[in-house]
Amino acid sequence: MKKNEFVIIIGLLAVSLIGIAAFYFFAATDKPLSVRVSRQGEVVAVFPLSEDHTETFTDTSGSNTLEISGGTAKIIEADCPDHICVKTHPISNPGETIVCLPHKLVVEVITGES
Amino acid sequence: MHSKAYRLVILSLYVAMALILSYVESLIPLPLPIPGAKIGLPNIITLVSLLTLGWPLTLLVVIARILLSGFLFGGGFSIVYSLGGGLLSLLVMSLLLYFFKDRGSIILISVFGAISHNLGQVIVAAIVVQTTSLLLYFLFLMLLAIPTGLFIGITARELMRLLSKTTIFSKLNRP
Repeated sequence: MKKNEFVIIIGLLAVSLIGIAAFYFFAATDKPLSVRVSRQGEVVAVFPLSEDHTETFTDTSGSNTLEISGGTAKIIEADCPDHICVKTHPISNPGETIVCLPHKLVVEVITGES
Repeated sequence: MHSKAYRLVILSLYVAMALILSYVESLIPLPLPIPGAKIGLPNIITLVSLLTLGWPLTLLVVIARILLSGFLFGGGFSIVYSLGGGLLSLLVMSLLLYFFKDRGSIILISVFGAISHNLGQVIVAAIVVQTTSLLLYFLFLMLLAIPTGLFIGITARELMRLLSKTTIFSKLNRP
């Protein structure tokens, strides 16, 4: 590998790492957090992240079951073909998202109470 | 030798190889908490095709591969996301190749292609689900795209080096 290739790749690595670090740094907060569920940009439901809760969201395209427990949110069950939302790591920090593309469902952690 | 027929044969071979690679790729799940992350094996073919056939024919290779693999292995909706990624990635790689010509490094073109592939997919996803909060997700994908793009770039470079020693490409009437 040539020197300029090496420099540019290190630069790109730095950009993404600094971006991720900055994201968590600026999103960090002491305020209570909530979980917002939206479908195609429309908010379907908001739950406090601190309370354990399980709910299934169903529409014509299919269903996703959201579980909030111990301060983290995750999709435990879905009938979409790829199950990417189920495989997504549980989310707990503001700005983190779980997306179910086939059902156009977005679950995200937001700052503030419901 | 009819160069048109020869080009068609090479083009078909690229589509077939890219299709096989995207099937192989679907069998290798990456053990990472980032959903939807892939190695990008078909990009080896896209790179070789770009360097030997140029971008107009490579556009055909990419679209044919995405449509075929979408219908064969994925759901219908996956085609839209793959097209978003595949086309943006091809655009970025073609522009880099055009502006840097021989001085361009296959490895860097591959890395930028991998990053723009993710960017294209995230943009399409953000439009479909109507959200703007996928930035963090993109940053994680970008971080992962750098090593995978590096791996794909090195593979494509070595493949080109070996294939250039044969007479396969000399009949294509292209450098």
